[in-house]
Amino acid sequence: MTELAQLSEDQRDCLQELVNVAMGQAGDSLARFLEVFVHLSVPRIKLVASDEVLPEMIQLIGNIDVSAVRQGFYSTSQQVRGEAIVVFSKTSFDELAEIMAYEPDEVNEQSEQELLLDITNILNGACLSGLAEQLGYELNYSPPSLIGTELNVGRLFDKEQLSWSQALLIEINYRLDNESFKCNLLMLMPGESIEVIKQSVDEFLEDL
Amino acid sequence: MSVDVIEDLNFLKFIIDRVNIGIIIIDKEMKIHLWNQFMVSHTNVPQEELINKDLFEAFPELPRRWFRKKINSVFMLKNFAFTSWEQRSYLFKMPHNRPVTGGVETMQQDCTLMPLKDASGEVQYICIAIQDATDVSIYQNMLKEALTKLEQSSRIDGLTQIFNRTHWEHRLAEEFDRVKRYGGSLSLIMFDLDHFKKVNDTYGHLVGDDVLRATSKLIKKLLRTSDVPGRYGGEEFGILLPNTDLEGALQVAERIREECDAAVVTCEDVELGFSVSMGVTQLSDAVENHENLIHQADTALYHSKKSGRNCVSAYRPEMS
Repeated sequence: MTELAQLSEDQRDCLQELVNVAMGQAGDSLARFLEVFVHLSVPRIKLVASDEVLPEMIQLIGNIDVSAVRQGFYSTSQQVRGEAIVVFSKTSFDELAEIMAYEPDEVNEQSEQELLLDITNILNGACLSGLAEQLGYELNYSPPSLIGTELNVGRLFDKEQLSWSQALLIEINYRLDNESFKCNLLMLMPGESIEVIKQSVDEFLEDL
Repeated sequence: MSVDVIEDLNFLKFIIDRVNIGIIIIDKEMKIHLWNQFMVSHTNVPQEELINKDLFEAFPELPRRWFRKKINSVFMLKNFAFTSWEQRSYLFKMPHNRPVTGGVETMQQDCTLMPLKDASGEVQYICIAIQDATDVSIYQNMLKEALTKLEQSSRIDGLTQIFNRTHWEHRLAEEFDRVKRYGGSLSLIMFDLDHFKKVNDTYGHLVGDDVLRATSKLIKKLLRTSDVPGRYGGEEFGILLPNTDLEGALQVAERIREECDAAVVTCEDVELGFSVSMGVTQLSDAVENHENLIHQADTALYHSKKSGRNCVSAYRPEMS
């Protein structure tokens, strides 16, 4: 068993600050684009072992049925790759459809899925691009895909399928003003990516 | 990639034109700036006609409001955006490369919208890349069909092509719960082929199988679409009749008994008639679970057997 990575206090503080700044920007651009006010929580940063992810998610979101979407991202220059999982615990599709400029007669099961994918892509892009920019990465994204709808949080993925032992987790939750929409964004960057990010954070600190 | 390779624009032009992906570049005003050969050959619209033209004027069938918002997201958030054939089969109506074996008319598309930034980091153009996903969609649909068939075959009895015992009992339990909760009536018929062992012993199992098939065919013909027949055991069948009282169920049972009695099965030069014994019951407050209900119908069926077979009996408490 390999030794688990740790974040030094400086690294953690710096990363937290970088993420906070990125989320501030994200909240701004989301509000401008969606034309509604989006509440973002203070991001939580944590190193998690693979068997801690599901319990962590159940603790954050509750043992409830949700819809979930995943999306991969990777840095074009550094060895950083990860996946973002957006868990939708409350979704008013009518309102989202309105925000995303669907015609009322275009809303059906297909377009509801499309909405989940698009919202995931937008939240993800908004949050990650700010963080990547500060660390000097250029990110590429894979298309988002549906994990499932009406699925219990505990069954979002099979923990046997997680081939990594530890990942950096950044968690943020979002909700719209009137509570008609709530979701949790979990960014997981496993394995080697942790070391690369630690290095980037160190470089960032040196440059200050 | 060495510098001379990217700097030779002819190479890049060649790749853009020959790669098996549709590539379009538009600006903030939705004006088309690039339309590669893939798009030309699939839409049959030459480049000259499109360059500097408004995207929505050139393709009025695009979902305008939605697509404009999507494009705006790329300009404003400087982010990639995607569409997938699974939710939206295509953006641009085009034929695909499986005109013979495709089975769908329009190319299924996965699209990526990419922000093209200038030196100051502002998004000036958007590149739309369109991938033909028709092949994938065909395989996925085949897989879905196969799964549906598999699911069905796990419910259907192979010989008689009606529900097998597991699924039929599951349906009965569901119907039982529904009536217990919301009220309404529910009746149950259980019936059994008379002297079936003798048919098998005398004429062989193939003939016996034919009699079972003939029976299920006949009941399917006589039942309403809401009635649910199933093969309960070897030669025993069950029929659940939602929204039906005892009297209605007895009529249905009597009708089936008559038709079975009149039917003749022909198999390998053997012509033979057969008969059935039936038990009928209606769900009452006293019945606690669906197994109880089956037991009542079975008791009535046993009574029919004892009363000389080829007849229908309604359950009475004193029978047990």
